[in-house]
Amino acid sequence: MTADTSDRYLRFWGVRGSYPAPFASHLGVGGNTSCVEIYADGHLLVCDGGTGIIPLGNALMAQSALREVTIILTHYHWDHISGLPFFVPAFVPGWKVNFFGPGDCPTEIEKRISGQMQSPYFPVEVETWLANIHYLAVGHDGIIKETPFHITNFNVHHPGTTFGYRIEVGDKVIVYVSDNELSFIDQNIKARESELDSQEWQLITAMLAEERSKALKYLENADIFIHDAQYTTADYTKKRGWGHSCYIDTVNFAIEAGVKNLYLFHVDPNYADSKIEELHRDALRIIAERQSTLHCHIAREGTLIDLS
Amino acid sequence: MTEKMPTIVVVDDSSTSISLYQFSLEPLAIDFIGFSSPAEALPYLAEHVPDLLFLDIVMPGMDGLTFLQRLRSLPQHQHTPVVMVTSKDYAQDRFIAKQLGALDFLIKPLRFKEIRELVYKHAKIKPLGIEQSSL
Repeated sequence: MTADTSDRYLRFWGVRGSYPAPFASHLGVGGNTSCVEIYADGHLLVCDGGTGIIPLGNALMAQSALREVTIILTHYHWDHISGLPFFVPAFVPGWKVNFFGPGDCPTEIEKRISGQMQSPYFPVEVETWLANIHYLAVGHDGIIKETPFHITNFNVHHPGTTFGYRIEVGDKVIVYVSDNELSFIDQNIKARESELDSQEWQLITAMLAEERSKALKYLENADIFIHDAQYTTADYTKKRGWGHSCYIDTVNFAIEAGVKNLYLFHVDPNYADSKIEELHRDALRIIAERQSTLHCHIAREGTLIDLS
Repeated sequence: MTEKMPTIVVVDDSSTSISLYQFSLEPLAIDFIGFSSPAEALPYLAEHVPDLLFLDIVMPGMDGLTFLQRLRSLPQHQHTPVVMVTSKDYAQDRFIAKQLGALDFLIKPLRFKEIRELVYKHAKIKPLGIEQSSL
């Protein structure tokens, strides 16, 4: 518990994609990589272990009410795990740290998390984590139940196995998708449109609609949607196939899904605050033009959202 | 005694995508089985080894790469011919699939003819007369 405003809250500790951006021009939005804290009824859930988890760990060490944390990882790229070797509670006896992420079984999750601390990449290995470390397995119903959180993971478009998470807590639904390329299949189909005969075209457009409807299903009744908005249109054109979205696709997807609040997340480390403000203004223009009720925000380090 | 027909299995969460394979392979003398998730396919594959398996990646529950890793851990599937057909066009996925012995890695959408060509190539099935000359 790092805030005293409510019994249920969400706080951004790291919002950058790819690598940390500790530059003066970037600190209004924040320079740490992915980490989001969700606290409810005495339980703590953390999404991703980027560098943002380091100050979160320090804040946890400064309190005494809580001694257990569950960390769910979207995947094992550095910007999502590089804070874990500096997450102090993991090194302290008396703490319990539960991990979940992609992998066929708990042993596989352990192997992937511990890899970055092996010699010669880090001076100490996970054997120095003196907390009670536990690796979680998904239940038969596909749900991870870490009271009071009901967590469903789903696969998204990003290199390697990468999860998005739907987190239900009380009457609130939070969907966390840090890394996801939204418009991939649309563009593949468009590129081949002229080659397809009418029967193929009919089936393939039906397949596209089916994929879209499945992706939207994870967002049903979402109050808070935290999604990859890494690139401008110009940068996305150059970086198509890198596994990230253009903010315009993210905004349009959120409008289509009917979510209440969208947080533009995993923003590019090359973008200064002024550029992100510019993208946000354009997002608001799109929302107004489409006459949507969506509230769109920039995910900023330190922002606290009341979930009660 | 009649010869057993080759079995082609598709694991893809899109029912439309499964129909696409079905339409494409209809003219061939094969047994076609489609599963909409790895969880559905696993009990069947525990008992059967198909002549070719088409595998999607982004699916509910276990994804195609994790599924292939699990499949390869079964002794009878160490050499089952597998072709990945996905909308995920990433070098890391191609690398993982190759490490797990996938024969090909193709990006959706595929045309009917392209699906049949993969079957001819990897399941060693004789092409339809009309398609023989184009191979």
